[in-house]
Amino acid sequence: MSGSEKPQERAKSKKKVNLNRVPMPKQEPEERIHNFNEVARGYTFEMAVEEARRCLNCKKRNCERGCPVSIDIPEFIAAIQKGDLEVAASVLKRKTSLPGICGRVCPQEVQCEKACTLSKKKAPVAIGRLERYVADWERLHNMTTIPERGAPTGKRVAVVGSGPAGLTVAADLAILGHEVTMFEALHVAGGVLAYGIPEFRLPKEIVQQEVEYVKNLGVELLPDTVIGINFSIDELLNTRYDALFLGTGAGLPMFLGVPGEDLNMVYSANEFLTRTNLMKAYLYPEYATPIKMGRKVTVIGGGNVAMDAARCAVRLGADSVTVVYRRSRQEMPARLEEIENAEEEGIVFFFLATPIAMLSDGRANVAALECIRMALTEPDESGRRRPVPIEGSEFIIETDTVIVSLGTSPNPLIASTTPDLKTSRWGTVVVDEKGRTSKARVWAGGDIISGGATVISAMGEARRAASAMHEYLTSGSKKIIPPSA
Amino acid sequence: MFPIIAKEELGPSVFRLRVRAPLIAAKAQPGQFLIVVLDEKGERVPFTLSDWDAEGGTVDFVFLVVGPTTEKMARLQVGDTIAHCVGPLGRPSHVDTFGHVVCLVSGYGIAAMVPVLRALKGKDNQITTIVQAPDKKRLFGLEALKEWSDKVLVATSDNGNGKGPLASDQLRHLLAEHPNQPIHRVVAMCSLCLMWVVTELTRPLRIPTFLHMTPIMVDGTGMCGACRLQVEGTNRFACVHGPEFDGHKIGSWDVLLARRCSYADENVLQQSYSCRTCSQW
Ligand SMILES: Cc1cc2nc3c(=O)[nH]c(=O)nc-3n(C[C@H](O)[C@H](O)[C@H](O)COP(=O)(O)OP(=O)(O)OC[C@H]3O[C@@H](n4cnc5c(N)ncnc54)[C@H](O)[C@@H]3O)c2cc1C
Ligand SMILES: Cc1cc2nc3c(=O)[nH]c(=O)nc-3n(C[C@H](O)[C@H](O)[C@H](O)COP(=O)(O)OP(=O)(O)OC[C@H]3O[C@@H](n4cnc5c(N)ncnc54)[C@H](O)[C@@H]3O)c2cc1C
Ligand code: SF4
Ligand code: SF4
Ligand code: FES
Repeated sequence: MSGSEKPQERAKSKKKVNLNRVPMPKQEPEERIHNFNEVARGYTFEMAVEEARRCLNCKKRNCERGCPVSIDIPEFIAAIQKGDLEVAASVLKRKTSLPGICGRVCPQEVQCEKACTLSKKKAPVAIGRLERYVADWERLHNMTTIPERGAPTGKRVAVVGSGPAGLTVAADLAILGHEVTMFEALHVAGGVLAYGIPEFRLPKEIVQQEVEYVKNLGVELLPDTVIGINFSIDELLNTRYDALFLGTGAGLPMFLGVPGEDLNMVYSANEFLTRTNLMKAYLYPEYATPIKMGRKVTVIGGGNVAMDAARCAVRLGADSVTVVYRRSRQEMPARLEEIENAEEEGIVFFFLATPIAMLSDGRANVAALECIRMALTEPDESGRRRPVPIEGSEFIIETDTVIVSLGTSPNPLIASTTPDLKTSRWGTVVVDEKGRTSKARVWAGGDIISGGATVISAMGEARRAASAMHEYLTSGSKKIIPPSA
Repeated sequence: MFPIIAKEELGPSVFRLRVRAPLIAAKAQPGQFLIVVLDEKGERVPFTLSDWDAEGGTVDFVFLVVGPTTEKMARLQVGDTIAHCVGPLGRPSHVDTFGHVVCLVSGYGIAAMVPVLRALKGKDNQITTIVQAPDKKRLFGLEALKEWSDKVLVATSDNGNGKGPLASDQLRHLLAEHPNQPIHRVVAMCSLCLMWVVTELTRPLRIPTFLHMTPIMVDGTGMCGACRLQVEGTNRFACVHGPEFDGHKIGSWDVLLARRCSYADENVLQQSYSCRTCSQW
């Protein structure tokens, strides 16, 4: 039969769209709720090739436009189809220095995969999983190559913060031949990748390998150094550095501002996650930092931070974990995959509700949350539906541990010690389209300018700033930007 | 790595360490603290700077052995290194010419207050220092207090001066003379319970009272919110807005006391939060 097919038809049938995404092998929920090991185990070579073959190699390259850093997606996938992983890796590296991280934590369903042609058929190519596969292959085979550095330019750059934004700028500028120092306030580099996102989603070994890579490019990393305290921005610019990048993120936790929020056993997600991830409280007492948690944990919020806090609580042994979110499941800003994982792990969701008070057990510990139900308004001009409280709908949730995961804003330390740095009323640093701040010789990118976004957007902004900084450092600089007054 | 340059045992379970940390020494101010991580598996623990040498690049702090980390630290010797030190954190203590300043100290505050006293003295204040310790055997650092104070009053259970064993008793005596012998400011760096008592004693007299609050901390840079307390009804972080706060504006003392002990072992908790039996002091 097949022998009688005309060549034309054969070509057509070969193009028949395969709508079966190769599923990601995962640790079973019953198993994974007892450990902090990575949940998604990653594709095998065969799985990766099978998934890659689903790609249509579209001329229009929709997927690429969905990626904030415009990764050459069709090319890297085509290389996987051919089994040429080295090429795939080098294609990725043209646009991202953190493929192993982005492949794991990007919200692909609203970025590259949303734009994929096959998304219309509800089966986009699993771009993120493929990206992760290539990065892991490169890492496990020690194929990571250190790119050749450009000739030394004699220019010195200070990078403040070692999250994805800082790591990206440091790497880019080091490769271009500048001498880079990266300052980090904490004792470990990596920013949110190290202290926020849990091990079971992003193994810390991968983050530290990334940090090592940047150090191997000749970047000097100074941990335990807080800019604004140990050195002001002006001190850095006036004594040693020709240019400076601010990538200090948005680390200041927000609270609800309801009565009783200062009770014991009410945590900010930042504290809960820092103890758990950065300080490894789940390995206490091998690691010295403890974490105190009750049995009935309630998490407030609907973003990645809330999902991470809730899933850490499950693994730390809570009997029940409830997430309270003021909108509905549809509006949850967390990555879809992580919402599904959370549901599988037995986390209960309370949608369309918000706490209005926290009640004490009489010994200054939280014992219950008083909540009110919410309704969503009709979409406004921006298309967003606002939650409004339904009068008289108050109810009580009993709980002994509350984790407030509302989001964060930039730490005011830098702004308050740098009067000539323009900030918005949300505390974010204002930049132009090239990432330049109002202060001469200072650029910024990442959560400090967005107030909290994604790893890949922080990286994209950092790239943009790095190229503008390079331009400044290598052209008759002073003509472009006057030195700071 | 931060090498230990000197170590001294000041009393039972009280030690002074001198560590090479040039970046901290260069910017240190009275009342600020540093955070120490002993090794890569260690926790982040805060200690108030009790002295520093900007030129020599060293900082000193005094600590009480109260739990696993301080026990481990007590075993370190000159030449050993500490993995991480970051600081100086927090805002400096507010120093100006106030007039007559009464300082209350106990525990590590006996040593940690010294830079503040020195700065107050430099601004020509008259200083009365009240020092509390469980007994004379456990009183240390008296010399330095005397050097920078006009008068030092000792409150120990065995000092036999008939004025009562508590620093708060001594303070009551002084307050009884106010305003004939006016007190312009009270600064306390002592146990939380004592600070609370002090606040209530000075409140009716409206004597400005500043406390060095030391809630449990994690990062010490304003990132985690563990150290939050209520000041005039709003959330403040002791590590960045403090640690020195106007005592009369602090709320929810019961929560602060309970939180302080939330990581204490159960034995400590069962004794209810009484200073005299609390492991902290
Ligand atoms: C729990 C959690 C889960 C998340 N999950 C996802 C996800 O799944 N996918 C995704 O795309 N995004 C996620 N995000 C968002 C993402 O992590 C951030 O957008 C991203 O890390 C921002 O990078 P950054 O480099 O701007 O800042 P950060 O990663 O915040 O790094 C800033 C660094 O600067 C340091 N610093 C701050 N102030 C100073 C100073 N004064 N001196 C020296 N150093 C300083 C900080 O200690 C920190 O290490 C998550 C965020 C959190 C908190
Ligand atoms: C700003 C600041 C400055 C400080 N300065 C000094 C100092 O100069 N010298 C000194 O000896 N200690 C100081 N402390 C307290 C010190 O940090 C704790 O004693 C230390 O963390 C105990 O660690 P551990 O592992 O030995 O004991 P843990 O087992 O952690 O604690 C033992 C006991 O101490 C209590 N405790 C733990 N952390 C704190 C804390 N942050 N504040 C008060 N009690 C706590 C516990 O509840 C428990 O009762 C300071 C604390 C802060 C916040
Ligand atoms: S970086 Fe993120 S958005 Fe871009 S292709 Fe990779 S997974 Fe998609
Ligand atoms: S849009 Fe989807 S199918 Fe088309 S090239 Fe991109 S990944 Fe492949
Ligand atoms: S210790 Fe984390 S905010 Fe103060």
